[in-house]
Amino acid sequence: MGTATGIIKALNSGIKHLAVKRFTLRYPEQKLKLVGDGYQYDPNTGVGIAGYKGRHMLFHDHCTGCNLCSIACEGIAEAIAMVKVQEEWKQNKKSIMPQIDYGKCVFCGLCVDACPFYALYMTNDYELSSFTKEGLIYTPAQLQVKPNIAQDVELKFDNPRGATHG
Amino acid sequence: MSTTSLPPGLQIEKVDERIMTLNVGPQHPGSGHMRIIVKIDGDYIVDADPDPGYVHRGEEKMAEYRNYIQNIPHLERPVIHDSCNVLYPYCLGVEELLGIEVPERAKYIRVIASELNRCVYIQYWLAIYGIFLGHSTMFMWPAGDRELYIDMLEKMTGARVTHAYFVPGGIRNDVPANFEDMLLRRVNYFEKRIKEYAAIFYDNPILISRTRDAGKLSREDAIRLGTTGSTLRASGVDYDLRVKEPYDAYGELDIKVNTLKEGDSYARSKIPWLDMLESCNIIRQAVQKMPKSGSVRVKLKPNPKSGNDEVYKRVESGRGSLGCYIVSRSAAEPYRVKMSVGSFRNLICMPYLLKGEKLGNMPAVYWSLNYWPVEADR
Repeated sequence: MGTATGIIKALNSGIKHLAVKRFTLRYPEQKLKLVGDGYQYDPNTGVGIAGYKGRHMLFHDHCTGCNLCSIACEGIAEAIAMVKVQEEWKQNKKSIMPQIDYGKCVFCGLCVDACPFYALYMTNDYELSSFTKEGLIYTPAQLQVKPNIAQDVELKFDNPRGATHG
Repeated sequence: MSTTSLPPGLQIEKVDERIMTLNVGPQHPGSGHMRIIVKIDGDYIVDADPDPGYVHRGEEKMAEYRNYIQNIPHLERPVIHDSCNVLYPYCLGVEELLGIEVPERAKYIRVIASELNRCVYIQYWLAIYGIFLGHSTMFMWPAGDRELYIDMLEKMTGARVTHAYFVPGGIRNDVPANFEDMLLRRVNYFEKRIKEYAAIFYDNPILISRTRDAGKLSREDAIRLGTTGSTLRASGVDYDLRVKEPYDAYGELDIKVNTLKEGDSYARSKIPWLDMLESCNIIRQAVQKMPKSGSVRVKLKPNPKSGNDEVYKRVESGRGSLGCYIVSRSAAEPYRVKMSVGSFRNLICMPYLLKGEKLGNMPAVYWSLNYWPVEADR
């Protein structure tokens, strides 16, 4: 192939792409749809359930304060600290529950794998920014809240001009 | 003045008046911190001395203080774009130490995840290669198209990068519902997209004149210097661990090994692109042959221990052969974990390739070696 033909072909390929749709997610307005309600783990079968590994969710009525999540995090991120809570639960004699520092967490989800009582799951919430370092530390009460975010945009491939979002 | 020898690059050397020493780096000559000490005579390089080690993290030492499961998140950090492949040899090794057989379905899902990851890595590599050569379209296109597979991996594993998906004994979670449809649509679209790179990049006469015959590595030298991966295959050696030493489900798949004879920067930049096209074929085959249901993970004891034993496993990563040597001494933590990485092996041939090149060709030769500084330093 000659030099001129090659350059014309390259330019032509670029020009053709003026008409091709690019899949751009307009992020704060649009949010990508994720699978399920977040990463979960079933200690009976020993297999996880597919989902996004975002902020954790703690079920106070299941947590026994057994420390296993905090032990699993040792040597990985050391983000989990066990703190005293005011509530009283029958299964939680010591009244301690995990508090997670998202300035340290690497979102590997191994704490979820460690929990044998179905108490710690992960959610689809990934917008965790804060103005202070203390704001990144989530107390057991904050971890109890179920996130409610509108995530509904998916990649579509049916447009002949290219894949699109929305 | 003391006579103790200083590290290379700091010595006061007596050199020819015509020779000038340049320090390229250590702040990001490409991606990741690494320095190349180049001696030039006018526009021509007379000597090049790569100086890696700026991003040494001590992964191997860290692995000695953590148990077999806790090692997963930090061992995938060296190459976060290729985290499944980086973790693969470690998982294979620990499985052999513990004597676990991975379920059939998990083997195929592992193959799919690592092929997707290979494409994600190569797209990132290609984007940087494009911007190195001043071709900014080639930066934008791969950086955009890799989003397709990142999306897919996010749905499978729950994270965009650093998936922590493979564990000794299988994979962390089964694939989501409607997985095959989502995957095949993306693979077909991705394949169509990357074929378009040929007209604008690989058949572009400007790229060809820039990289053809730059940094030529002959077949004999490639073998003698111990290169691996795309650098080796671009010099005409038909060597791919997925075919030569098949691991997991690769033995049951039909894989074509791409080789080119030229051994120059152009060939080295084209092999990863051909590998991506081949990856699409592998994914389609794996989806077809994958068992439709079944277990994906063997349940391990909470703190698995293995006997006095050692094991070496290697896989074909995005940068070539990636080995992991594990020594176990009947404890919950490994006694030693040593990673043998493709990046470092490819770096060895760089001084030979740069000698006699023009300085302007240095980025083209350097990045075509498929070198990832963080992986080489570990």
